[in-house]
Amino acid sequence: MPRIKIDHTKCTGCRHCEIACSLNHVANTANPRRARIRVMKDKNRYYPVISGPFVDAACTSKHIIEIDGHRYDMCAFCRASCPEKPFFIEAETGIPLKCDFCGIPPSPSCVRWCNTGALELVED
Amino acid sequence: MNGWYGRCLRVNLTEGRHKVEKLDGDLLKNFLGGRGLGVKVCFDEVSPQADPLSPDNKLIFSSGPMVGTGAVTGASCNVVTRSALTGTLACAKMRGHFGAEMKFAGFDMIIIEGKAETPVILSIMDDKIRLIPALEYWGRSTSETEDKFKESLSDQWSARETFLATIGPAGENLLPLANIVNDRFLSVGGAGIGAVMGSKNLKAVAVKGQHSLKVADGNRFVQVVNTMINKLNSVPLTSQSMPQWGSAFLVGLCYQKGILPGNNFQKTSVSLRNIGTEALEGAFALRSRGCFSCPIACIKKTDIKHHAYEGKGMIPTYLAIGSLGTNCGVSDLSIIGMANMLCAEMGLDPVATGGLLATAMELVEKKIATTEELKIDIRFGNGNGMMDALRLISTKKGHAKRLGQGGKALAESLESPDLFMGVKGMPLSPFDPRALQGMGLHFATCNYGSHHLYAYTFIDELLNVNENLDPSEIKGKPGLVKLYQDTTAAMDSLGLCCWPLLGLKFKNFVPLVNSCLGTNYSAEDLLFIGERVWNLERLFNMKAGFDKSHDVLPHRFTEEPISDGNGEEKISRVNEMLPEYYYLRGWNEQGEPMKETLKALGLEDT
Repeated sequence: MPRIKIDHTKCTGCRHCEIACSLNHVANTANPRRARIRVMKDKNRYYPVISGPFVDAACTSKHIIEIDGHRYDMCAFCRASCPEKPFFIEAETGIPLKCDFCGIPPSPSCVRWCNTGALELVED
Repeated sequence: MNGWYGRCLRVNLTEGRHKVEKLDGDLLKNFLGGRGLGVKVCFDEVSPQADPLSPDNKLIFSSGPMVGTGAVTGASCNVVTRSALTGTLACAKMRGHFGAEMKFAGFDMIIIEGKAETPVILSIMDDKIRLIPALEYWGRSTSETEDKFKESLSDQWSARETFLATIGPAGENLLPLANIVNDRFLSVGGAGIGAVMGSKNLKAVAVKGQHSLKVADGNRFVQVVNTMINKLNSVPLTSQSMPQWGSAFLVGLCYQKGILPGNNFQKTSVSLRNIGTEALEGAFALRSRGCFSCPIACIKKTDIKHHAYEGKGMIPTYLAIGSLGTNCGVSDLSIIGMANMLCAEMGLDPVATGGLLATAMELVEKKIATTEELKIDIRFGNGNGMMDALRLISTKKGHAKRLGQGGKALAESLESPDLFMGVKGMPLSPFDPRALQGMGLHFATCNYGSHHLYAYTFIDELLNVNENLDPSEIKGKPGLVKLYQDTTAAMDSLGLCCWPLLGLKFKNFVPLVNSCLGTNYSAEDLLFIGERVWNLERLFNMKAGFDKSHDVLPHRFTEEPISDGNGEEKISRVNEMLPEYYYLRGWNEQGEPMKETLKALGLEDT
């Protein structure tokens, strides 16, 4: 099954993926708030997060992540389009967003525009 | 509207009111946006005679139509005002994410007028426009301001989407050297703007929004962006040099050609061992950081190992290495990095400050001033003295007040104006104009003072991207300078960064512009708009009292040949090139645009 592999060490935080997603899903529109991928910034590092459905399990199994000695709240990297945070809920309509790999066969527009290799389409 | 959002916010700080204005179609067609529109508004509304630090001056934040649409490198927001340093127009390029967020907040342009009674922050968050009292932020460094403001927001999610443009203590103290900082990154060419913002008692502008930008032909636009990314990846300069070292890759090249200045342009042979790209990799942990929708990502972040600057490091660019480093005789990258860091924290402009320090150092070297008199141990090569000076200048403490007014004022107060290496009050960017003739002509004629930012002639002169030109030849240079000045004006007006011109030609951007804006421009049309902007800037400066006599380089470059290095014996021949440049521009011998020229450009009413 194809997946999008995220390597956060390569992400430069340019947010080109957000616009690629928005242009692909909403005709002729550039708006990061309508994208199904968002780049989170935490402690000077960037973490692309791809949206998924909101399930209770995500919230009940929450724990603190430690990277390079910094502690992170898991909510920051959570992909759920949950009511607690405004990301992945389309501002104008209130519809929760979910990544669809840009159709069948998958050719995600975010991967195409990501120039540093932080996003990669892999088979596993 | 495609590309443009079509709205402009006008904030009057004196009255504490704001209003939203529609942007006119013809205005956008003739000046595009960004720098062009900012200059037009400044020309129409700001008196060239009024004191730049008075409430009569206006501060204009202007994002071009391509910003935020996903166009390759469409990220720059231009800040236009009348400069406190030079008295000419000033136009800084703010990179990072501020410009794009401003567009998502629903504004192409923010005009700030008047002066607030007490310090304020202008906050534009999800269509709520407020002036927030900022007394508690006053005196804080730029990164502290940003952190504190984000902490004050209701939740961490809106904090993540908020972007700030802020001034540091230097701007609050009305130093003409002060600059604006956004996303912890210094704007380029911003000397003289921080003070204007400080004079309005405006500490910061915060933006966040969720409006959509429209693109005329989405499918075609996406295709064009794909092609451009591929093209950038196929050129070594934009796929290897820039992403790896940022603009610092120029250091080695400029050294070879005898362009990298040392000791206030007195020599060009400096030791590369400590400042080249290898040393850069050794000194810092390089990590790329990209401006909005930029596939190159030339900004480099690092972790400086110092308790006070933990996690704040921005690796010095070529400008910082040249201005704060070699030109001050300093060849220790960790000192240069810290000095650059300090500039960003305090809101000082590295080029203007570096130029000032180099002038002061030469004054001391020539025994015109003494270190006792200046009360700072400021000598060529003394990195610690330089750091002390930077700290004192920005806070206006001790005896640094004299330095804080800029290099030109210092040299003139000691009756040695010839020791200030700059044009119209702006110190030279670190390119020796004797070994790079075209850049020399640009320095002399630039509307903003001698900054390379407004014409990247080195793309052809030094890097030979489009043409194979000899840097020390003058043949064809006036045409080259005009071409690059117009190109840069057009790119700035569109909101695009000029660095991709290392890998792409200007004409490659035309389909991008047309598919995004739904227009039918040719490359010539866009260059013509660039020329219109350049002439309008010239007209403003003429009204402010600038004429041919200000289009000169300091005597050192036209009279003293380079003393050592690979550019030895070379001298700037700017005066030979000037008449041809005026002719190509359609200006008379006095450097004034002729009636026919203005008529052709549609500026006859001005």
